[in-house]
Amino acid sequence: MRSLRTRAVVGGIIWAICSILIGVFGLASYLDTQTQARFDELLITRHTQAVIEVANAYENPNQIANRIGDPAYRQPFSGQYWQVEGPDGGIYVSASLVDTLLPRPGPQIGRISIGNFVGPTGERLRRIEEWLTLEDGSVWHVQVAASLQSLFEDRAKLRGNLVLAFGLIATLGVIGAFLQASTTLRPLNDLRRDVLSRWDTEGDLDAAAYPIEVAPLVTDINTLLERNREIVSRSRRQAADLAHAVKTPSAVVRNELERLAKAGQPMGASIEALDRLDAQLKRSFARMRADGGSAAMHTYTDLDTSLGRMTRAFSALARNQDKTLTSAIAPGLRVRMDQNDFEEVIGNLMDNAMKWSESTIHIAAKQADDEVEILVEDDGPGISEDDYGLATLSGQRLDTSKPGTGLGLAIAADLAHAYGGKISLGEAGELGGLRAMVRLKTSGL
Amino acid sequence: MRILLAEDEHVLASQIKSVLCSEGRVVDVVHDGAEAQFLGETEPYDVIVLDIGLPQRDGLTVLKNLRAKQIDTPVLILTARDGWSDRVDGLDAGADDYLTKPFHMPELSARVRAMIRRKSGQTNPVFEKGNVVFDTRSNQVTLNGIPATLTAQEIAVLSYLFHNSDRLVSRTELSEHIYEYDGDRDSNTIAVFVNRLRKKLGNELIETVRGRGYVIKVAA
Repeated sequence: MRSLRTRAVVGGIIWAICSILIGVFGLASYLDTQTQARFDELLITRHTQAVIEVANAYENPNQIANRIGDPAYRQPFSGQYWQVEGPDGGIYVSASLVDTLLPRPGPQIGRISIGNFVGPTGERLRRIEEWLTLEDGSVWHVQVAASLQSLFEDRAKLRGNLVLAFGLIATLGVIGAFLQASTTLRPLNDLRRDVLSRWDTEGDLDAAAYPIEVAPLVTDINTLLERNREIVSRSRRQAADLAHAVKTPSAVVRNELERLAKAGQPMGASIEALDRLDAQLKRSFARMRADGGSAAMHTYTDLDTSLGRMTRAFSALARNQDKTLTSAIAPGLRVRMDQNDFEEVIGNLMDNAMKWSESTIHIAAKQADDEVEILVEDDGPGISEDDYGLATLSGQRLDTSKPGTGLGLAIAADLAHAYGGKISLGEAGELGGLRAMVRLKTSGL
Repeated sequence: MRILLAEDEHVLASQIKSVLCSEGRVVDVVHDGAEAQFLGETEPYDVIVLDIGLPQRDGLTVLKNLRAKQIDTPVLILTARDGWSDRVDGLDAGADDYLTKPFHMPELSARVRAMIRRKSGQTNPVFEKGNVVFDTRSNQVTLNGIPATLTAQEIAVLSYLFHNSDRLVSRTELSEHIYEYDGDRDSNTIAVFVNRLRKKLGNELIETVRGRGYVIKVAA
């Protein structure tokens, strides 16, 4: 059972059922005893009344029936009976027995006994019997019986009420278990939401805002988030330092080889090998960056800032090349992506557009459902539909007439993919050249 | 045309200087950011080639400081960093163009040439005045279609005057743009170069404004 909520609810329900069962059986047993006791008390009272009447009328036993005046004794088979047996063997009974008799007594003089038996109509009766020795020394047997039906009915009614009451309590208990689980788990839900919202803020989780049982977990998560940031940041620094350390010597070697080639030395193979080396380095650095991107958390990019500065930068480059950069960027957009990586994606796309455009480059960004859609378009020759997929593969140069490694679009596509986004190519509407559409998950919703 | 090259890798700096000098540029080389900023602030360069990863003071800081002091010399940044963010940082800080290492030297030359041309407001890389044609891409000068043989310093003087055509250029200004920082800046030798240019390309090309300087008038 991996769900805390299920565990809490099921645990609560099991505990509630056990408590209710114990309660029902315990209480039912107690009530049975109490009902039985009350029934017996009433029976004893009736028996006592009969004994008194026998003691008062033993000289004229036929008066006994008149003296015991409870109407229930007069109604045939009413369930209330008495029977008196005199020393001379005469038997006096309540009218309710009609022409039947209660069981004959045993020879146990001086003792009161109580017990159950089957009555004249087949119903179960409870009776009290006593051998009674009167003042004159005569011995009388007095027995009073009452139907147990009313006792059973009372018990059934009580048990029904009991089950109803405990059923209500059980229902409230289950609802309570759900509410309690929800209340107890709310800090964990808050924590999950807060961790997700780390995309939108650079701040740490506030451990003080959580219950003391959850606060240590929050502190641990903060530590993990911080460590994640450090690892990603350190990896990138190392990659950048490595790039710096390798590329400058590479530039020196390249210049030397080109100088020698210009002087007529056969340097073609060496320059080609160096080209491969540089391309491989660029590809590796891009892969390191993409790997870091997939592990990055706690980060987002504000497009007002990022696209703003990129548009300024590329506008300057466009002016240098007597080209025009236009933009239509909706305000307030944010994407779940590290800013450096976002600028790497857009930089590569705009660089490609700048390289192939005749005179105009256009960049647009807008919200599209829960994603941000960024378009980079140019008025260059574009590429054929068959090559749309090929262009985003690493090292595929569709046209070698302009300098480049053929890695730009592939790097952009890999990075976007690492953040759950995607890049698709198509024909630019008005401009007629290539259109690169980037879709990235939005941040801050 | 005088260029400040700030590059901490000595061999690479030497290679770049060699190529730029071979194209008639005058190049001052520095190897750290502090010196780059000092020279950038105090000397009238036509272009600054600035490596981002300089010791003492990084290239980006140097660039920001220069722009903060209203120095609008065109700046070409060199970066070995792989990311676009570094390039955008540079461009957003006021750089005019960028190159990522490793680069092809002809591309560097072309970028520098384009920056010099843009600074002077020229769009055509080929200047013409009468029968004289000066192609800035090859530093080739022709008179009546026949190539003229010019020394590096003569080309430097001609190039500066053409890039600032229709504007009076003093001898001092000329000397500031054709000599290195440590060079012997004798403005009298400027007159010698101008005379040689007149002999090789004709007297009508460069006009002298007595006591004030020289001008090449190309506007109709």
